[in-house]
Amino acid sequence: MPPTSLATEPFASWLGLDDVLIQSVLSEATSRGADFADLYFEHSRSTSISLEDGIISSAATSVDQGVGIRVVVGEQTGYAYSESLTLDAMRQAARTAAAIATGSTPKVKPQAIGLKSHPDYYETGPIWERVAVEEKLPLLSKVETLCKQLDPAVQKVSVSWVDGDERVLIATSEGAVYSDRRPMAGLRLGVTAVKDGERQTNHGSLYRRAGIEHFTDERLTKLCKETVERTMVLFESRMPPAGEMPVILAAGASGILLHEAIGHGLEADFNRKGISIYADMIGRKVAPEFVTVVDDGTIDEERGAVNVDDEGSPTERTTLIENGVLKSFMHDKISAKQYGVAPTGSGRRESFRHTPMPRMRCTFMEDGPHTYDEIVAAVDHGIVAETFLNGQVQIGAGDFTFFVKNGWLIENGKITAPIRNVNIIGNGPEALRDIVMAADDAKLDTGGWTCGKEGQGVPVSQGQPSVLVKKLVVGGEDRA
Amino acid sequence: MTTDVATAGGTELLLDEARRALEIAKRLGADDAAIRVAEGRSTEFVYRDAALEKVQDSATKVLGVSLYVDGRYSNHQSNDLRPESLESFLTDAIALTRALEPDPHRKLPDPALYEGRTEEDLDLWDPTLVDLDRDTALEWLSAMDKAAHEDETVISSASQLAVSHSAMARVSSNGFEGTRRGTSITAFTEVTVQDEGDKRPEAYAWAAGRHASDLGDPVDIARRALRRAVSRKGSRKGPSTRTKMVLHREAGGPLIGRICGALSGGAIQQERSFLQDHLDKQIASPLLTITDEPWLTGGLASRDFDNEGIATKPRAVIENGVLKTFFVGTYYANKLGWDPTTGGPSNLVYALGDKDEDQLIADIDEGIFVTGWAGGNADMTTGDFSFGIRGFRIQDGKITDPVSEMNVTGAYLDLLPRLSAVGNDPFPWSSMRTPTLVFDDVQFSGS
Repeated sequence: MPPTSLATEPFASWLGLDDVLIQSVLSEATSRGADFADLYFEHSRSTSISLEDGIISSAATSVDQGVGIRVVVGEQTGYAYSESLTLDAMRQAARTAAAIATGSTPKVKPQAIGLKSHPDYYETGPIWERVAVEEKLPLLSKVETLCKQLDPAVQKVSVSWVDGDERVLIATSEGAVYSDRRPMAGLRLGVTAVKDGERQTNHGSLYRRAGIEHFTDERLTKLCKETVERTMVLFESRMPPAGEMPVILAAGASGILLHEAIGHGLEADFNRKGISIYADMIGRKVAPEFVTVVDDGTIDEERGAVNVDDEGSPTERTTLIENGVLKSFMHDKISAKQYGVAPTGSGRRESFRHTPMPRMRCTFMEDGPHTYDEIVAAVDHGIVAETFLNGQVQIGAGDFTFFVKNGWLIENGKITAPIRNVNIIGNGPEALRDIVMAADDAKLDTGGWTCGKEGQGVPVSQGQPSVLVKKLVVGGEDRA
Repeated sequence: MTTDVATAGGTELLLDEARRALEIAKRLGADDAAIRVAEGRSTEFVYRDAALEKVQDSATKVLGVSLYVDGRYSNHQSNDLRPESLESFLTDAIALTRALEPDPHRKLPDPALYEGRTEEDLDLWDPTLVDLDRDTALEWLSAMDKAAHEDETVISSASQLAVSHSAMARVSSNGFEGTRRGTSITAFTEVTVQDEGDKRPEAYAWAAGRHASDLGDPVDIARRALRRAVSRKGSRKGPSTRTKMVLHREAGGPLIGRICGALSGGAIQQERSFLQDHLDKQIASPLLTITDEPWLTGGLASRDFDNEGIATKPRAVIENGVLKTFFVGTYYANKLGWDPTTGGPSNLVYALGDKDEDQLIADIDEGIFVTGWAGGNADMTTGDFSFGIRGFRIQDGKITDPVSEMNVTGAYLDLLPRLSAVGNDPFPWSSMRTPTLVFDDVQFSGS
């Protein structure tokens, strides 16, 4: 399709942008030379509402807009942003970003700019702008009522809702302009129950790049049931014993294992700098044959889906590990150039205030050859990790951790007692090698995961089948 | 539109903007409102392996508004401050507020609490940080980068210098007016070294303050980062054990500071705090005394009024092991039927012991020196915690092998009474001025 003029793009005209103005700011940004430059226009609106003690007594809205201007010379980046979209303010920011270039920097040949199309993996209409607050309020009340009905021990229920549209327009010095509109909505639920004078709290969430139709009675009921069950089971739960043991990562949210143990280490910025433990491992066998891990931006309405990445590269499905062999890093434009490959559409950023870098989208492992029952039966003494709060990794040492909120003890091939609140720690490449079984029950988690890297948060999703890792270090207690 | 907050007059201009927005909110139908206008600028330089890697300039300005309309409440923020946008933004915000449910506890603070702001100069402004010369910054970074590479196993190192200055003004319809401005500087170095096989352990060091002079010599930061990275080589997990835990002064803040989550009015009122029934009770060793010190000269979290406008004052949080206060803002105070204190901590200052880290370690036969955290979390309803650690074994009063892939697990009400020694060496580059802390008989899990 031939490039189209920006005049046809409503977001551009709404921001007061046209081809000439964008051309002019790009020229300023590349005036001292550059490998490439880009402009990232953003206008984000969000609404959040909260219910506590049975009353919907607080709401918040936020409007955030601006343009981030980036000039890249080799591995060097000059960056400035402007919250004002006047030509003067943008040119000023462009000059600041351009200062990274020196006299010897190659000049950029100006390109005619044109609007490019991209496939849509989610609805890009003005979804949330059109939904009145009166339509959202009953969802919160419904969730509160459901939770209280599910168990009389439920003492406090807090529900928070957030929705928003993020509109972006990305213009590159290569002449491409992409426009995208990214909806997001989510509901987060906190339940506190009291039993025999003891209190326990748990949380649940449901997030999606979608409209209000996603929040059906069926899905909300499931969320409430799971959250109340996972709160009540905490009363019977204990700490597992401390030390190394086999760990089954249950299907779904356990994708946090992939995110921390493998995903971050395969982001190419860490590898081009030589600081990731995976830097020299491409082409090596890193896991058993039945392990295939993918990072995919193209799954419809997934929280981690993007139609186009934040530096104007098309999104894709990137195979990271195929049949146990490490295949690819996740690239942004800077690392792709250095490695001589095409970007994988992984260049993401939190907002116009930040520079893009390689990030995960939706990371998951495909089905394995075993069944869940076979996996449990294979464990003499170990645990099942079922729900998680957070995780992290040291990129170079390879040590990763994740915090287990709910899980189960396995004794002699049988699930015996619930456990709670333990941190699990392992080493990425060792844990990959130590995957001994994977089930045929892969699923994506529906919670609201946000990945943090160098101070920037971006929405991601993850999933996997039930997986048995031979040994990880489980935080726990040996009571004397 | 953009004011220059670098001048004293700049905060007056922000105050005028806040007053104008308050008038508009009232005219459009708000019964009460509080407005906050904040503006900040920052510059960040990153230097990696003998070359400049990134320069970023940031300038931001935002207006925040809390609205009280017909017994209902909401809050909003926008950085689109054009007059026509502001008017429609506030119109929509008031309409949204009217759609919510009334809550009698949503009120502005009692104006009596605005009184008594400290007259002391908190010393939060360093004019040399307003326009830190690019050449000076690059000179510092180049020296840091050089120092960070003084070991042949270094694979890569990055040093970062960030300076910022910011100002804010707050007004409310029941009589509060206040402004504040401050500068800050952060210097950071990260070093990755080659270990056996594919392992490339990394470590970092940093310093931060309100004044350039707070950092000391930036080259020391780089040296510290290098020393830490090299010391991680050959780290492995130790056996699971119950033993003494020495907490490095940089690691203590995150562990102890988490307790503040259980001290918040929201956690108490929502019954999500393991400390809710413990006010005026012994929760820790008598050695533990922590004060919330908002008037600390040059403190990173120093403030003369809090985020509701309530005048701050120093407050004992834990005194000789006894819990003395909760952090309760207006809303949860109203819900609980209590008097508000302040919504959250400022600087947390410890009563100090008389030994430093080396002397405390010299007293220990067997233990683990925790120098940093690796993930983990805590449950504020029960007080359970489980964190990954990085550190070293202590044997016969000396730091020996580096350990990793281990967790420390327990419950706060069990851990805090086990505090057996407090150092004399508070960490100076954070609002949590935590000294070295020693705890007896703590659960570690490993191989």
